[in-house]
Amino acid sequence: MKRIVTGFVLVILAVAVLLDIQPLSAADNDFLIYFENSTLTLKSQTLDRTVYLPLQEIVRHLGLASTDATGASTFTIQGQNSRLVLTPGSGFISYNDQPILLQNPVRRDGGQWLVPLDFLSQGLSRVAGVEFRYKPGTRRVFAGKVMTTELAMNAQSLGALTRLTLRAGSPIDVELQKETAQHRAVLVLKSRAIDPARERLDYKDALVQSVTFDDSDGMPRLLISMADDVRDVRLTSSDGNRVYFVDFVREIASEATPPTTPAPLAAAPPPRPNANAPTGAGVRVIVIDAGHGGIENGAANSGTLEKDLTLLLARRLRTTLQSRLSATIVLTRDSDIDLTSEARAGVANNNQASLLVSLHTGYSPDKTASGSSIYVMKPDFTGGLSEPAGGRMFLPWYMAFRTNAAASQALAENLQKNLNQALPGWKFPIRFGPMGVLASATMPAIALEVGNLNNDANAKMLAEPEFQAKLTATIAEAIEQFAGGGRKQ
Amino acid sequence: MSSRMPRHLKIGLIVLVVGFAITLGLFVDVIGRIQTMVHEKEPAGNPFPPPALPLYERTDPPMNVKVFFPGMKDDVILSAEDQTIRRSGELANRARQILQKVLEGPKSAALYPSIPKDTKLQEVFIDDMGMAYVDFSSTISANHPGGMVNEQATVYSIVNSLTYNLPEIRQVKILVGGAEKETLAGHCLLLPLGMDLSITDIAPPKEQVNHAD
Repeated sequence: MKRIVTGFVLVILAVAVLLDIQPLSAADNDFLIYFENSTLTLKSQTLDRTVYLPLQEIVRHLGLASTDATGASTFTIQGQNSRLVLTPGSGFISYNDQPILLQNPVRRDGGQWLVPLDFLSQGLSRVAGVEFRYKPGTRRVFAGKVMTTELAMNAQSLGALTRLTLRAGSPIDVELQKETAQHRAVLVLKSRAIDPARERLDYKDALVQSVTFDDSDGMPRLLISMADDVRDVRLTSSDGNRVYFVDFVREIASEATPPTTPAPLAAAPPPRPNANAPTGAGVRVIVIDAGHGGIENGAANSGTLEKDLTLLLARRLRTTLQSRLSATIVLTRDSDIDLTSEARAGVANNNQASLLVSLHTGYSPDKTASGSSIYVMKPDFTGGLSEPAGGRMFLPWYMAFRTNAAASQALAENLQKNLNQALPGWKFPIRFGPMGVLASATMPAIALEVGNLNNDANAKMLAEPEFQAKLTATIAEAIEQFAGGGRKQ
Repeated sequence: MSSRMPRHLKIGLIVLVVGFAITLGLFVDVIGRIQTMVHEKEPAGNPFPPPALPLYERTDPPMNVKVFFPGMKDDVILSAEDQTIRRSGELANRARQILQKVLEGPKSAALYPSIPKDTKLQEVFIDDMGMAYVDFSSTISANHPGGMVNEQATVYSIVNSLTYNLPEIRQVKILVGGAEKETLAGHCLLLPLGMDLSITDIAPPKEQVNHAD
């Protein structure tokens, strides 16, 4: 027994020792330094959890004079009127005979000198007269006056297509190389120094397998691996080439039956309505918000919850709109999750939607009431600002609604007209209130509250599929008219 | 059986049993203490509650106020009801009295209470700029039945009742459970709000103009 225990302890100790030794050295990786006129690709090494770069290559690239004194085992870099001396195994470097302490020691591996990353900013920048910018965790350093373009990307599934949205800090040109046969797409980003927010996108669905940023040869691009189902990839630019939409489509859009395709976004930008175009060609994205969700049930009548009804109505409305309009229909939520009002408006803003419609059911303490309402953001809402917003440098985000106040009201009036006709006996007064979901929307936005869940007759009717179909068809009709009538820019 | 047991084992067993009993006693005591700590929350926990200061003096003259309650009649979301408070010296105390009337609910059967019952007014603070911070217990949000109109009614029954009767208060910021909240129940922003009589059945008071927002 004793022997078994001793053996067991010894095995554990041995494993622990092995694990401790392991991370001292890791595989070589490509590392890039973007200079003003050139790009230097280096093989970096991760030693003791620190990234090391080969010093001689950098010095050579910068054209600096250097001496590798094997006898004295020092490395000296000569700049204009300055001198930097490195000693292997030591974190101290000497700049004009003054010591500077690096976070990690300089290493010498055979004939190769290896420096930790902070050597670039702490030491090399002094002799080379170039500043280095590095974002921890990335594999690239930007030197001197290199203008970087920040790149953010996100993806979302819109039913029959998956949309990848790229946002660049400054206008860039993007070229799409389709390799559909290899289930691959390459987006060549024609800007030299791209600073991506993330190296790869944590996104995977039925159409897109992976999205990876790659600039290992100094040419930035996005490598996208696609599923077999993808039949077409389309690239649309927006916002003066700062925003790009890449749509991965399951089926090839047939020109003969445009209304059935979910989103022929590739219709050459800017989309122009013409005689053959489906209705609402000027409207690209419509966002439908299903009110409440998650722990926020909203109003309730015994088992009927507002959050379930709104999601049901939103999905129905999406289906109806998709069959009528060429626009992409996005739901703020397609499952039982809780979102803040700000996040709901954010979905519409991020998708550059032309329209936001928030769906709600009502509740009145009066059990006999059956009031519905169409809400428009309260026009004089200031959220506590005492002076007119015009004189301010920074406009609070919740004032975004102001740019489209008139269009929102026109939309509400049109919806009211349609609903009053389609649902006789129901009233849909237009009301103004400080509604969170409408405040931060940068496009025409309204909220529709249908019925009174405290009224059993209302609650029963709201749950009926025929009523839901009629309601959503009427809303879709109003949206279609709005889309066809053009939009105030 | 015990007679056959060796003496040292017997003693050992007794020591063990006694030790176990003491440990068990301590354990039960500790558990009990933890339980009381968990169950006894702040209200009962504070043995020295601050003395409740009267909101008005007996000598304070009466003051007629309009308190707003929901009573849905077409476009009207809120109806004003005449009530009486005491004109106490301190502005915050007048505000507290009005909010107490809002919490108590309407006298008229045609109107409805605007705030979920069991909601308490926790604090009122009015700053130099005429901003009233009113803090309600979290039930105002958690027990709110929902509905956009209904939520607007709750928010503006508070805002209008204060701003209409106390012109010194220009804007009202509602806090929930001592903290800021984005919306009351998923609709109405709880940013500072000014009087809105367009949703009520009365005209603005004569002595003041309608504030923006």
